[in-house]
Amino acid sequence: MNAIQTNQLTRSFGDLKAVDRLTLEVPRGTVFGFLGPNGSGKTTTIRLLLGLLDADQGEAQVLGFNTKTQADEVRTRCGALLEHHGLYERLSAAENLDYYGRIWHLSKAEREGRIRELLDPLDLYKRREEPIGRWSRGMKQKLAVARTLMHRPELIFLDEPTAGLDPVASAALRDDLMTLVSKEGVTIFLTTHNLAEAEKLCNQVAVINRGQLLANGSPAELRRRTSAPRLYVTGQGITPQVIEDLQRNTLVKRVQQQNGRLLVDLNDLTRSHEIVTQLVKVNVLIDEVYKEKVDLEDVFLQLVEEERGG
Amino acid sequence: MIADVFAVASKEFREILAFGDARGRSKLSLIVLIVIFGIVIPLQNGREWVRSPITAMVWGWMPFLWVSGVVADLFAGERERHTLESLLATRLSDQSILFGKLLAALAYGFTLTWIIMIVSLVTINVAYRGNGFLFYPLPILLGALIFSILISGLSASIGVLVSLRAGSVRQAQQMMSVGMLLLFVPFMLIQFIPRTLLITLGNALQNSDPVQIAIGVVVFLVVLESILIAIARRLFQRSKLILD
Repeated sequence: MNAIQTNQLTRSFGDLKAVDRLTLEVPRGTVFGFLGPNGSGKTTTIRLLLGLLDADQGEAQVLGFNTKTQADEVRTRCGALLEHHGLYERLSAAENLDYYGRIWHLSKAEREGRIRELLDPLDLYKRREEPIGRWSRGMKQKLAVARTLMHRPELIFLDEPTAGLDPVASAALRDDLMTLVSKEGVTIFLTTHNLAEAEKLCNQVAVINRGQLLANGSPAELRRRTSAPRLYVTGQGITPQVIEDLQRNTLVKRVQQQNGRLLVDLNDLTRSHEIVTQLVKVNVLIDEVYKEKVDLEDVFLQLVEEERGG
Repeated sequence: MIADVFAVASKEFREILAFGDARGRSKLSLIVLIVIFGIVIPLQNGREWVRSPITAMVWGWMPFLWVSGVVADLFAGERERHTLESLLATRLSDQSILFGKLLAALAYGFTLTWIIMIVSLVTINVAYRGNGFLFYPLPILLGALIFSILISGLSASIGVLVSLRAGSVRQAQQMMSVGMLLLFVPFMLIQFIPRTLLITLGNALQNSDPVQIAIGVVVFLVVLESILIAIARRLFQRSKLILD
């Protein structure tokens, strides 16, 4: 059974279709990245999946429960870190977690044990009695992640958990997130527009724009589906004629020149030596050649660009 | 559901009492309140402060002031500080959240009233020692008990409604202030009532059984609060609050 399954899920606000016929499957045990630019419908999707908003059309099942008719069951089994961390800044870290533990009917002993279990790996246990108002944003985000896991949910929703954090804090949060997740064994539905983050964390991703699903699969599948593997060549003697000759090669999908560097998209990266041979034959003095698969950011930008182009 | 209501109420109570909080309130302002109503005013009024029926009215109405000071924050504050959506994403039912917040406001008004009543009693007994132990007469004690609950409940239910509709804490507080002014309008209008009518009303009140009047007021307050809470329950819907 999938953790999440949606079928033609649609939600509009006036004339704006925030989520448009979204059909999606999220297998259990995966870290699922839901990628999209700002205003693409990511947050609305999370709200629909948690039963906080009703869909206009279509339906969604979360952990086997209908989000419209069994929203309470869904929320009982899920944890959520939404757009804002939602922590009570006048209360201490322990009080924040304790409150959520009480909401999920954990006993006092369970709550105390769980607070230690979650805050220890985040290096926050010693500071648990401090009011969190003066904590850094990174520390608050860590605490908010811990809060989503307090009641041992089967599935957690994380809405841009590293948004607004500096690179160091983002990396630390990502590491902590992975530590906690591997320990807890939960399914994660993560929205982000940080594609490097998605690449590192997710084993399944979907791309959404203007409410519509553009692509869905593993990062590797998406890379294969949307773009060719790429060869980078730096050297002297790369003339327009050389580029034209390369374009004629059936192995080559596309050639671009950027900052004196040649970017050659190939159909088959294993035959890249043929390109090098061709360049040497036409007297190009090669300084450097390296091959790199396109990253998720390229895939994402290409998908969004294609969708905008209609 | 009871455990959920208590979980919400205890968190709210803790936040209300949080030291140096964002509401501009602090333990210091609580202490000032207790000193004024528990020491200064009783000393000005002397032993009558304990015995006078007017005192019962003070204990009945004061919770309205205490509660209105904190209740505006309940929903408007959570929305303003972006904590409401996370709370709505939990397993808590709409009713648990609503009643938890109501209970916290009510408990705050009730507790504060009784703390001040006890401090007043100690003040009067210390100031007038040697005249035997002074204690509130039973009708005043019962009146204070019942009305401190009912008036706290009234203030809490009005405040919850205001807080649900207000866009910010400041707006909620302004609306509560206007509401409080409206409450005093009937008293201000007394001067415009013809003297003969006032005398007739006064005689009617004097000839009435005070217990019956008290019961009438209690019934009126219970009905009014039930209506306000029913409206709040209708307004408190997750999907509406998320989009506000």
